[in-house]
Amino acid sequence: MGPMNTLSYTEKGCYTDHGVSGYGVAVRLIRKEPISEVLLKEIAEEMMLSIAKKCKELGARAIGHIKSHIMTEAGTIKADTIGVSHGAYSTGHLEHPVMDIYMAINSIVQGIPEEAVKAATLEGLHEVAEREDLTVVKEKEHTYFDEFDFMTTKQEYLRQLEEQFSDNDTEDDD
Amino acid sequence: MKITQIAGFLGCGKTTLVLKLSRILADDGKRKVALVVNEIGEIPVDGKVIEESGMLVKDIGGGCICCEVAVSFGKTLVTLYKKFNPEHVLVEPTGVAIPHQVKTAAKMGMRDAKISIGAAIVLFDATRPAELLDMDMLGRLVVNQVEDADILAISKVDAVDEAVLDDVAQKVREHNDRAEMLNLSSFTGVGLDRLVEIILNWEG
Repeated sequence: MGPMNTLSYTEKGCYTDHGVSGYGVAVRLIRKEPISEVLLKEIAEEMMLSIAKKCKELGARAIGHIKSHIMTEAGTIKADTIGVSHGAYSTGHLEHPVMDIYMAINSIVQGIPEEAVKAATLEGLHEVAEREDLTVVKEKEHTYFDEFDFMTTKQEYLRQLEEQFSDNDTEDDD
Repeated sequence: MKITQIAGFLGCGKTTLVLKLSRILADDGKRKVALVVNEIGEIPVDGKVIEESGMLVKDIGGGCICCEVAVSFGKTLVTLYKKFNPEHVLVEPTGVAIPHQVKTAAKMGMRDAKISIGAAIVLFDATRPAELLDMDMLGRLVVNQVEDADILAISKVDAVDEAVLDDVAQKVREHNDRAEMLNLSSFTGVGLDRLVEIILNWEG
């Protein structure tokens, strides 16, 4: 028997039996007042912790990770947590304050179903955004943000990011 | 083209390590190194972060490469071989992948590409052993990963004291007494040289 036949393919992942669920979402956020690098990192960390806390409140046994990647015309920020008690961390740099933010969030949690991970992720995101005067103008599940060129001009870069939201019919414009 | 996987549960520091190792292995362009990153949850955050570092990276989404999208993984390796032919491919599977199944999936590419299977380097987060090994929670999954390791790297050793580290090492060793075990900190650089040596010289 060759290697092609040694794996069994099912709709379940190897992790399903261990109760691990994942959810991903991409959003575009805007703010009337520009956000500095320091503040954006604080907000991103706050979102990660809020999502992790809500997952636990919904019954999660353990947080795999809550991760985010933020793209702006001035640079990128990454923030993540592996649980509230571990704190949240962020890295990255913005050349100047920004008002327009593209953010991808990936939540992987053990002990609650995907729908609960989704609810916690969206609630955490929206609650912190509202508190920090950020408006969620676009929101889309499963958006990859991967069809763009990092070496292009800032205007073209943002245009390509924007296009990611209109690629298919799952868009949810607010 | 040697395929080395950097496995381990979610949040154990795989992405940070992959970035560090790839830069060291590339040695200012002396070696061709490619990265394959797989994430569940649909949004490939890690792949984007690595891509920004300028490394050649292939994202595989839509499931786990050790089961749901194993065929895509095999095809990706063949594509990398034909188009780029790197000497080393570092694979970052999902944090829930089973290392021996990742190896099996990688072997699918052997029909169409000259591939050798490198070490399964499995990271274990020193900052949360109780959570990871709690059999009522993630234990079986994490133990499966530890059992499959060729190399066990106790990660984030800079964040715990020596007594905790000894205890973690002892607990992990109970599940795999065959693998080489080393301390790792991508932050301070502890263990990186040894891992590079292992990746370069591993013959299975």
